[in-house]
Amino acid sequence: MMATDTGFAARLGPWVAVIAWLFAILLVLMIAVGASLDQAVSGFFNGAFGGRNSAYLMTTIGRSALIIGMALAVLISFRAGLYNIGGEGQLVVGGIVAALVGIYLPGPGPMVLAVGILAAMAAASLWAVLAGALQVYLGVPLLIGSLLLNYPARYISSYLVGHPFRDVAAGLPQTHMVPQGAWIPNFPGTRLDMGIILVLLAAVFTIVYAYRTVPGYRTRMNGLAPDFARASGLPVKRLVFQTLAMSGAIAGLVGAIAVFGVHYRFSDGMLVQPLYAWTGIIAVLMVGMVPWAVPLSGFFFAAVQTGAAGMERTAGIPKEIGLIMQAAIILFVASRLAVVNLAGSARGEGNDDRA
Amino acid sequence: MSGWIALSNITVRFGALTAVDAVSLDVDKGEIHAVVGENGAGKSTIMNVLFGLLVPDEGTIAIGGTPHAWKTPQDAIAHGIGMVHQHFMLQDSMTVLENVVLCAEPVNRLGIVDFATARAKLEDIIATYGIRSRLDARVADLSVSERQVVEILKVLYREAEVLILDEPTAVLTPQETRSLFEILANFKAAGKAIVIITHKLDEVMEVADTVSVMRGGRLVSSGPREATSKDEIARGIIGGDLPAPRARGPYAPGAPVLKVTDLVARGEGRPVGPVSLEVRKGEIVGVAAVAGNGQAELIETIVGLRRSAGGTVSLDGQDLAGKDVAARRALGLSYIPTDRQRVGLALEARVSENALIGREMESRFRRGLFQIGSQIDAFAREVIARYRIKVAGPRAKTSSMSGGNKQKLVVGRELSRETPLVIAENPTWGVDIGAIDFIHGELVRMRDAGHAILLVSTEIDEILALSDRIVVMFEGRITGSFAASDADRFEIGALMTSHGSGGIQTRDAS
Repeated sequence: MMATDTGFAARLGPWVAVIAWLFAILLVLMIAVGASLDQAVSGFFNGAFGGRNSAYLMTTIGRSALIIGMALAVLISFRAGLYNIGGEGQLVVGGIVAALVGIYLPGPGPMVLAVGILAAMAAASLWAVLAGALQVYLGVPLLIGSLLLNYPARYISSYLVGHPFRDVAAGLPQTHMVPQGAWIPNFPGTRLDMGIILVLLAAVFTIVYAYRTVPGYRTRMNGLAPDFARASGLPVKRLVFQTLAMSGAIAGLVGAIAVFGVHYRFSDGMLVQPLYAWTGIIAVLMVGMVPWAVPLSGFFFAAVQTGAAGMERTAGIPKEIGLIMQAAIILFVASRLAVVNLAGSARGEGNDDRA
Repeated sequence: MSGWIALSNITVRFGALTAVDAVSLDVDKGEIHAVVGENGAGKSTIMNVLFGLLVPDEGTIAIGGTPHAWKTPQDAIAHGIGMVHQHFMLQDSMTVLENVVLCAEPVNRLGIVDFATARAKLEDIIATYGIRSRLDARVADLSVSERQVVEILKVLYREAEVLILDEPTAVLTPQETRSLFEILANFKAAGKAIVIITHKLDEVMEVADTVSVMRGGRLVSSGPREATSKDEIARGIIGGDLPAPRARGPYAPGAPVLKVTDLVARGEGRPVGPVSLEVRKGEIVGVAAVAGNGQAELIETIVGLRRSAGGTVSLDGQDLAGKDVAARRALGLSYIPTDRQRVGLALEARVSENALIGREMESRFRRGLFQIGSQIDAFAREVIARYRIKVAGPRAKTSSMSGGNKQKLVVGRELSRETPLVIAENPTWGVDIGAIDFIHGELVRMRDAGHAILLVSTEIDEILALSDRIVVMFEGRITGSFAASDADRFEIGALMTSHGSGGIQTRDAS
């Protein structure tokens, strides 16, 4: 009992420090751009949680659905010790496939939606498995392979929406719209699409998979101690592919939700610019890969982003300040992780002689 | 009268656990002070207090009558205390000289490291204490005992008056141990205080001037070695009488279980082998070798963790070529690896999760793809009870256990599979006397029940105590092979460190 209590306090401490620092940084930045403090603060909170009929809150929730989805994709692979940071590429592959299926597959709307989501998941899954194959068969570390595969995904999608599948009349590099029948419906009376339900289902699936199933157990052991998993005869190669396939599938699902629920089409950069994938990684690292906390941190980061947009609207503070804050958070997370790692290895040394 | 260093009423608590309970200990200049006890007895913990790694909850440290309160090891180092840990902390890619001066570099006025001064100082130290070390060799190229010397040099370079050594001989051959003791004797003659934390009572009797016995966080006894005996110390350590010598069944080996023929293992750099050996039903074959002589590669190749570069391995007549670890284990092989912290266990996982590994697909533990937690816990409880593992329960974190109990968990998990072949690699490395005795008993019980056991150990005593046949490896080859009855520890020690007097020494009775 004692140990968990001190553990909790120890976990809380850095958070308080992080938030204090963030406010300090924010203050300095606002003074630098000459904005008034209370305007900025009210703009931030209104932008994140307010709006007429809570419209901005719905935007925040909608955005957090995508961030949480990407965070789940990260979580499932990171917990297995697989540093798949190619979420962005997998997301884009899922998005473009979802849009093309949505536009070109004939049939009733719900069927198109269902096929579009499944196709997006399958395609993104393959993209992730490709990074795994590079590691297993060619020795390209996953961290590098998955990162580099982001670029072809991004540029191939740019080409596809810029040329063969372009909605020429729109003038922008984007596809036509998917038919309205295939849209993910909004919650009645709101502007929030029901995609978040799919994300929550994915979250439940991820948690049940991680803690209750045999492959989840194997994956977890492989993540905690790869040498142990190998020496115990676990099918480690298969686990790599299996885990990456699931991670990619979730990223593909997020891409499909963005297409069918938010934008109704694929436009160049729409999944890259908002940094969903990277924010998802940070959201996972921020809470030390604890699954139940991931939705909370995903929501937190969505609020930082929409709040920053609100500050820009009301107080004229550039929303890049939101990005700067996010970058500051990354730095704090990085330093905290370093401290945790050091503490962990120091503890490991003394371990053997304690009762 | 209190000593030069006086630890008074030291108490250290980790949460609800009291690791060291009001222990007072004196260490004097010019003595070798052995601190003995089981793992978890608190001996490393109290030395970590003296070295500043842990701040005691109660109690004081005084040196020469002046009380001190360390906040960090740097404080302790500044007051002449040095410690050589069980796990070395060296930079492999740097030279001995660079490692020794690291973080204590002499710099000239321009802020450039003055290696010449450092070298002169070190050469002086080396000459004074009769140490042998190659200052310009890269640490990666050094043997384990040479690395230990580097650690000792680090401490001496920082002008330590007190040298604490945690299990210094655990990784050394008898010959290397002897030369370490010669160095320690020189330190003693120079008036330094030496503390060794150890399990090995023979060594205590050989070198210690003072012996302190700890058990369960308390000091059981402390006094001059002459006033005590090996038996008395052992009784103090385990808190009761010694177990009777192990009874073992007659040696009646059956059909061969493991057959290794001209096996060549891929090594780091040079290959290991070719090696041939055979383990039959109902016998323990001990492979004696100093760490790093190819035995690890050999075992990994047999287990399927490393690809072979030639030769064959067969298990119960089945060729293992092309089979992965899982297939080999399914055919009847269990493996107790040296490195329980990394290979034997997932420390951050639960005890039950570690007990389960390899059995997770058995139908009693799952319903479809879903695990049945109650069955898994029940199985873990069985292993805990049967192998007398001290732990809060199946859901406790594995890292919360002591080294001996961790090892019992690995041993229990593997032996309870009851496979025809058991490979045990340093099965008692760094565990306490009680656990050693238990694990040895279990291995002998398996042998008597007709299992084939391949034991690999760097401890000659362990090899001699358990083996029916003994094989010695040096530099990737088998340099000797004996029936246990013919074995001589010094001859084995010599073969472990050289190619012998020419040709392979064979005195196999069978």
